[in-house]
Amino acid sequence: MSTRDHALIEELMALEVLDGLDGPDVQILERERAMHGDCAECRRIESELRDTAGRMAFSLDPERVDPAMADRIIALGREEDEELPPALPPRDEFAERQRSRGRGVVAALAIAAALILLVGAFAVFFQRQNGSKVLAQASGSQQVVHFTSPTGSSGELAMAYTPGQPGVFFWGSDLPDPGDGKAYELWMIDGNQAVSGGCLEPADGSLAAFVDADLGSATSMAVTTEPAACPASPSTEPVLTATLTV
Amino acid sequence: MLAVLDRSEPLGMVDVAEAHDRELLRRLRNGDEDAFRGLFGRYAPTAKALALRVVRRSHLAEEIVQEAFLAVWRNPEGYDGERGSVRSWLMGMVHHRAVDLVRREESYRRRAEESIPAAMEQEADHADDVVEALGRPEERRIVRAALEELPAEQRDVLTKMYFDGLSQSQIAEATGLPLGTVKSRTLLGMRRMRATLEGVRS
Repeated sequence: MSTRDHALIEELMALEVLDGLDGPDVQILERERAMHGDCAECRRIESELRDTAGRMAFSLDPERVDPAMADRIIALGREEDEELPPALPPRDEFAERQRSRGRGVVAALAIAAALILLVGAFAVFFQRQNGSKVLAQASGSQQVVHFTSPTGSSGELAMAYTPGQPGVFFWGSDLPDPGDGKAYELWMIDGNQAVSGGCLEPADGSLAAFVDADLGSATSMAVTTEPAACPASPSTEPVLTATLTV
Repeated sequence: MLAVLDRSEPLGMVDVAEAHDRELLRRLRNGDEDAFRGLFGRYAPTAKALALRVVRRSHLAEEIVQEAFLAVWRNPEGYDGERGSVRSWLMGMVHHRAVDLVRREESYRRRAEESIPAAMEQEADHADDVVEALGRPEERRIVRAALEELPAEQRDVLTKMYFDGLSQSQIAEATGLPLGTVKSRTLLGMRRMRATLEGVRS
């Protein structure tokens, strides 16, 4: 059990459980957690704070929810189980069809923005204001999809595209460093087939990239950590996934 | 079916609802779809209320609820009994996603200009289909009372942070309070909430 003072970690955890922690305090809390190590008092504090935060939600009047949503979620989960086996499938005909269009990653914000303007298909813009990142979405046919992590890892990744038109804009923040000589590789999944969308290398956890790829009949996306050479077939399990809507 | 409490899992007091939740989660880990529907029925209405309170748009709130419960379906092992109750875990996932969304879109700037009643009224037209909520009217009364008992300055900070999705820095900027004051009011408010809620329970 840690003998360190718990005042600071309690103060920061109180902010964290309310999703109010930001700025340098994020790193300070990480450091405190590391320094406290396996600390029973820390767990007790966190548990109590999380319970308190969670109970605040129950001050609200419940909202009506479509009862079919539960079944839709189950169906979606079952589909994803089938689509994303532990090792992603190798590319084949679908991959060959897409290959000429699926590897044009341009990992530069300015270029991405320019391409978006050229393509004219996206009403998505990315900007930085006082260190905060903004992803705004216009109405219309554009789709914005947020990736989630099956492994619970940190970081955010979103993509914007227009169904039926080539070109996908990716935006990420707080992504973990993929490691030396490694990159994040995008995969478009269609049934049991995966085709590379190219590799992305975040800078300080952030990225903005335009991929001149046609999603075609892909139903979901995945991201794996791969050698920076960007192999043609996935070799690791996905760290981020997203389901596409048409 | 109510679960027999596993004494290896920390649970401050005997809490039937929590025991039920943990039993549903245990069954869900074995792929039990009815257990998932059970958890969904118990908490999706409150989850949607929370998401809607933060993002203020019904369709986004539904997406958040779907995403959060899909994460539960995918990875029920993500729940750690040492880090709080099942319901707090669920609400935490919903809240995190909702806050993340509003911060990305920075819509809090727009929402701040909207009155809450007007926003809620606009979203009041829902589908007729209803999942019967557990309701928890007593819980709702207790938590509301605990919030009301807070000193106004602490309640204001907690409300802005939890229900409006603002970070500590955003609150400091919006109110002109020093960041340290925002932090201390948050901590004091959470401590007092905890004490009040514990007092009611015991």
